[in-house]
Amino acid sequence: MQPNHAFAQTAPAIQITEDEYEKFYEYFYRRTGISFSGRKEYFVEKRLLERIAKTGSDSFKAYFTLLRFQPSGEELQHLVNLMTVNETYFFREDYQFDALVRGILPEITRTRRPGGTLRIWSMPCSTGEEPYSIAIQILEYWSRADEFAIEITGSDIDSRVLADARKGIYGNRSLQRLSPELRKKYFRRLGDDQFEIHEELRGSIEFSIANLSDPIHMHRYRAMDVIFCRNLLIYFDDTSRRSAVEALYECLTPGGFICLGHSESMSRMSSMFLPRKFGDTIVYQRPVEQD
Amino acid sequence: MSGKRILVVEDGITMRMFYQDVLGRAGFVVEEAANGVEGLEKALLGGFDLMIVDINMPKMDGYELVSRIRREPSLQATPVVTISTEAQDADATRAYEAGANFYIVKPADPVLLVETARLLTGAQA
Amino acid sequence: MPPKPGLEPGNAAVALKKPNHAPKGAEDVPHADLAALTLALASPEAGERRRAARELGAFPEAGPRLCAHLGSEPAASVRAVILTTLIRIKSPAVVEGLLPLLRSEDSALRNAAIEVLQEMPAEVEPHVADLLADPDSDVRILTVNMLSLLPHPKAPDWLAEVVARDPHVNVCAAAVDGLAEIGNESAIAPLQALAARFPEVPFIRFAAAAAIRRIGGS
Repeated sequence: MQPNHAFAQTAPAIQITEDEYEKFYEYFYRRTGISFSGRKEYFVEKRLLERIAKTGSDSFKAYFTLLRFQPSGEELQHLVNLMTVNETYFFREDYQFDALVRGILPEITRTRRPGGTLRIWSMPCSTGEEPYSIAIQILEYWSRADEFAIEITGSDIDSRVLADARKGIYGNRSLQRLSPELRKKYFRRLGDDQFEIHEELRGSIEFSIANLSDPIHMHRYRAMDVIFCRNLLIYFDDTSRRSAVEALYECLTPGGFICLGHSESMSRMSSMFLPRKFGDTIVYQRPVEQD
Repeated sequence: MSGKRILVVEDGITMRMFYQDVLGRAGFVVEEAANGVEGLEKALLGGFDLMIVDINMPKMDGYELVSRIRREPSLQATPVVTISTEAQDADATRAYEAGANFYIVKPADPVLLVETARLLTGAQA
Repeated sequence: MPPKPGLEPGNAAVALKKPNHAPKGAEDVPHADLAALTLALASPEAGERRRAARELGAFPEAGPRLCAHLGSEPAASVRAVILTTLIRIKSPAVVEGLLPLLRSEDSALRNAAIEVLQEMPAEVEPHVADLLADPDSDVRILTVNMLSLLPHPKAPDWLAEVVARDPHVNVCAAAVDGLAEIGNESAIAPLQALAARFPEVPFIRFAAAAAIRRIGGS
């Protein structure tokens, strides 16, 4: 008797229908604020199929049920990590730096005495590109920079990236958005792919550890006028995110501003902050009135 | 048809789809927001000829959204229709006091919706 | 934007001042005392009340008191922190404390209650049948809104039941919305029958068809 030689059968490839994509986009946008309109469906399909396989789901429907009803939200977090690309470089999402010097700082300083302090916090600062970008933007483009004492702090939960930030050495990829003039002005070439940011900037920014989920840590950061908290909050689960947003609220001075990442919106997270528009950019403001 | 732009602020997905369908067929360009904060963000970015705002929304309800819209210099003149499950006069009054131009009870009748939108945006039939 | 004749990097110190965020001391330590925190919840300072609401998360027995306080708390920022703490405490007592708020005149308060309840599938379950049978259609609408977001495996069936039986058009409409995301086969028949239940409401026919499409039926 011949053994039954079944041809090696691969399971039929899982197809995701248009209606299923719509349902997924709607759900994902509601939960994270991340929208895929216009984005290549291939990008989403590849990652969905990956998670479908990883979770042992036999169909998109089964996977969506798992995703949707899981109280821990863990699978959603996996998806968020997969769907977001988090690369840091100088002047990433530069329209917010424009909003800073064209709108935010002028509004804050309208009623502030010259000689006063302005506090700006970049959190998370990763390897420093963001706080250094803020510093360069202010020095280059804000006409009143010399009238105030501007304190810029960069914080992160990871001490290794902070060490890199203090060193201030970057490669070409990180500097891709800088004009040759600004590059020459603010960086010293150490090698083919190594540029060190000017010593005075390195010396004038404080880099310190901070954990947004640790209230004792957060106590140290107070009366901030502007906080850049870009592309961090989407990685929290719902409850931790609520607490993180509340911590940021406490760190801000009344009337202070917070800038989120380009696909993030407070509308998904909290109603403690009010949207404000500067140019074409939405930033968020802690209300001025004592509630 | 000049393609007047309408912002719909409504937390219910099928209701948003309904507005998109009814108003889209009538020649309007419809954008959506799913809650009051998002509605305010999109309203601020501007360019709408009309806003349709659901009253019963979490996080920021329609009354608060309309009040905040009316406080924005750039939005003071934008017509606003509020839509609510409440049929009481008191609720309509409250909507008008917040700054709404018109008040419709849910679920909205498609014909009334389109006529109201045409009237408030000056769009031709 | 044209660079203005601005500050040279070498003169950065004219504008940029390095701050110092060294840990400060006693104020870093949270209050440990339930009595002190309860007192602080009545402070005239919103910041103090927020801090108290946050630290009360360490005391699950404070759940009912926090629920009761919600109704009289004037500051939105404090209410937000209270809600987060209630979500963390996550107990049957919290659910009991929040249910009365579903009948509040204040829509912000009603929605605040839902915001917490929708995070507590197991604790909410014993109350669902009563809520869906409540004589007040507004309470039923809120419950349906909550069920639409609750990560509970029975939610699809609860919503399908609403579509099959609830007499109020807006309660059904809210359930159709929820089913558009979480509906399964059990919802198809009630959805198909819904248009006949409300023949004079064009939205209902549209919404039911949309939900059926999303469920993957035709």
